[in-house]
Order: sequence, then structure tokens, then C-alpha cells
Amino acid sequence: MLKNKLSFLFAILFITPTLYAQDDLLESLESEEEPEIIYAFATFKGTKVVNLQSPELPHKGVLQYVISHRFGSFNDDFLYNFAGLDNAQIRMSFDYSVLDWLNVGVSHASFRKMYDGFVKYRLARQSKGAKNFPITITGFSGIYYQSLRFTDGLPHNETERYRYVNQLVLARKFNSNFSAAITPTHVHNNIVDLESFDNSVFAIGLGARYKFTPMHALNIEYIHQLNPYTFEDADGNIQDMRNSLSIGFDIETGGHVFQLFLTNSQAISEPLVISDTQNSWLDGDIHFGFNISRVFTIKRPKLPSEN
Amino acid sequence: MKLRISLGILMLALASSSFAQKLATRSGYVKFFSEAALENIEAENNLVSSVLDLSTGKFAFLVKIKSFQFEKALMQEHFNENYMMSDEFPKATFKGSIEDFESLDFTKDGSFEAIFKGTMQIKGTDKEISEPVTVTIKDGVVTLDSEFTIKAADYGVEIPAAKKDNISENLKITVKITYAKK
Repeated sequence: MLKNKLSFLFAILFITPTLYAQDDLLESLESEEEPEIIYAFATFKGTKVVNLQSPELPHKGVLQYVISHRFGSFNDDFLYNFAGLDNAQIRMSFDYSVLDWLNVGVSHASFRKMYDGFVKYRLARQSKGAKNFPITITGFSGIYYQSLRFTDGLPHNETERYRYVNQLVLARKFNSNFSAAITPTHVHNNIVDLESFDNSVFAIGLGARYKFTPMHALNIEYIHQLNPYTFEDADGNIQDMRNSLSIGFDIETGGHVFQLFLTNSQAISEPLVISDTQNSWLDGDIHFGFNISRVFTIKRPKLPSEN
Repeated sequence: MKLRISLGILMLALASSSFAQKLATRSGYVKFFSEAALENIEAENNLVSSVLDLSTGKFAFLVKIKSFQFEKALMQEHFNENYMMSDEFPKATFKGSIEDFESLDFTKDGSFEAIFKGTMQIKGTDKEISEPVTVTIKDGVVTLDSEFTIKAADYGVEIPAAKKDNISENLKITVKITYAKK
């Protein structure tokens, strides 16, 4: 019995110094590291995929200016209209991130002379490590005012000029190159073309990006309406409003993101893109467009040495 | 029973004696500075963990890439996403020793110039380095200060041609590690 105990103690005696000596200092540092929450970041490059909101917000204290163009369609007297460039629509937008998860902005778009204000907020972040969460959830709400004069000679209420969009972006960065998002969308139009139309249109947006170099990515986006309006096309046929499909290319250069794309939606304001796209890819109603963003750091984060 | 107690005491003594030789910190500081034609970029990290073995002069440090703070948040994002791939390579490490460490006297205040040598690992790439370091002892607190230059390409960090005027190939590194007093 005593012998057993003794040999046990001797064993401990020999093991102990090796346990404590930790010859490899780096290993000892690594073993002391506490597990951390690792958040996914840069899921998409821009704050929009093309017309759909992406899960991205500018960082806190950053002002973003976005200038967007959509040109005339390719099948509309292509050469005469200089490849559509003569019929440009424009949107100018300013937004500012008050907090890392909260962004507010205003914009103006030339198509139907729309003004809008919006708020975008991150509700949850994809993470791994000490906390696992599979997706980033971002909310977006916008209110749109159509200032184009009514020319139909009918009496109109001021409230008829308003439209609203609510979106929830559910995004996942699958790896450093591939990200995708599903975006349930609600559009509310205070004015509609026919009395029988519902004011609300529901849609599901799908967006994806593939980054093929650190500075370049391919984007695709499709917005499927669940209860589309109808319209009368040029031949007098009644058609459902088209679903918006855009394919694009992102170039990131320091403080800019250049997004170049082809789309069947010429409007840039979200409610019109989602519920009022009449052009079709199949008919060659394709528009070239771009979004160019520039960020300005208004409130600089503090460096450790300044604290 | 008596034997067991005395053995226990011996074990404890052994353990604490090997502990006493080591100094550690979790708040070491590393800065890098890039000077290029169009802009200067610097980033700081004060969450560097390090351990120094006083008996041998061996030391190591571990730098979390995501803990580097930049003046512009977007720069920090690009640094992590496009240059360091910090999801894949979350940390940079160094493992090595200070030369002629035995000749330093840690019982008195003073400052010594020395050379440290070892293996730096950045972005998964190992490189042997040998650089000057100043070891300062004041009131029993040991501080290591070092400034040296590394080449981005040595560690597989690619700077695209379009960014050559914004980001220098040579990065000036400043290290300041103050170990907690025993």
C-alpha cells in the first residue's frame, strides 16, 4: 500500500515540473487565450446589392454619398440614344451611421421626382467562436414622397404621394468569397393604378455575391413579387408587373465602391423598382446602370495611443 | 503521511520557482506605419499578449490581427478582408530570445541595448528575424522597446499595383511591451 502511494507521488513529482515549465512560451500564450466572438464582416461590398439593400452599413461616424444612374433601355433606338445614355435617371443619396448598427439617410431620385428618407439598422450579426449565430439580420424602412405634378386633371390628396418600403435582410457569408441574402419585402403604395389593386405588395428578394479578387465581385439580385399589379403593355395586353433582375460587377478602390450592372428596372427608388417594373429582360428592355459610393470619415475612431 | 506532505511541499516549491522566472502581459503595444506617396497609414494594437522567461531570455508574443485599430474603419475592414485574410489567419506570432540575456542585471534600474532573434509568423508565413531591442528595468518593471521594418511580400501580403501609391511595401513596426511586475 505504502509502496503504491510512494510510486504515485514520485510520478506526480516527475510530471509536475514538465507541466509548469512550459518550455514553449508561444504555446503557453496560445493556451491562455480566451475564446472570442468572431463576427462576420464585409458580407457584401456595397450597402446595396444593386437595388436591394445588402446587410452592410457604413461604420459609425461615416458619411456615405451614393450617386446612381440608370440609363435608357438597349432596345430603345440604341445608337440614336447613345446606348441609352441620353435617357439617364439619377439618384443622389446621403446617409450617416450614428452608431455601428444604425444608419439614417435621405435621397432624391429624378424618376417621378422622388424624395425619400430611410433608416437601416442591424439587429443581429453572424458570428462564430464563443457565440454561434448563422446569419446577419438587418432591417430597412423607407418613406418615399413622389413630387411629380399630377397631370391627369383629377383631384388628388397629398397623402397619395407617399409610398413605403420595409425590408428584412437575412444574409450569410458562407466563406470569404461567397455571400447570399434572402430579403422579405413589403411595399405600400398610397396610390395605385386601379381601385381593385391592393396598396401592399409583398416580395422576396434574393441577392448573392461572389468575390473573385479582393477588389472585385460579381453580384446577382432577383426580386420576386408575390402579388404583383398588372399593367397594359404596348400591344394592349394585360401583363403582371415584372420581377426585377439585375446582374452586376463591383469594383472596390479604397473609399469608393463602383457597382456596374444591367437591370430591367429603370427606376432607382425602391417602391418603383419592386412593384412598378414594366420592362422585361426577354424583350431586350435592359438598362445599364451604376451606383458609386464615396465614404467620408466624419467622426474618427480613437486609436489606442490617444486614450 | 509525513513523506507525502514533504513531497507536496517540494512540488509546490518547484512549481513556484519555475513560475517566478516568467513575466507576462496581455496589454503589449504594436504599431505599424506605412509611408507612401499619397497617404500615410498607421494602425495600433494594445492587446498584444506576451511572456518573457527571465531565466533564459526567451520570449514570445501574440498579436490578434483584428485588434489593430485604424483611423478609418473602412481601412481596418480592408486590412482584415483584403490583405491579411484575418478570418483564415487570425494572429501573428513571434517566438525567440534576447541575445546575451545572462549578462543583464534585473536587480538594478537600467537600460540595455540588445538583439533579439527568432521566428516571426504573419499570415501563416514564417520568417527568421534578428532586430535590435532596448530592455529597460525600472522599479522592477521590465519593458521591451523595438523598432524595425518588415517587407509585406516576405509574409505573402500582396499590395496590388493600383495601391502602390497608398500602401508602402516596407512597414515600420514599433513594439512596446511592459510586463506586469511580479
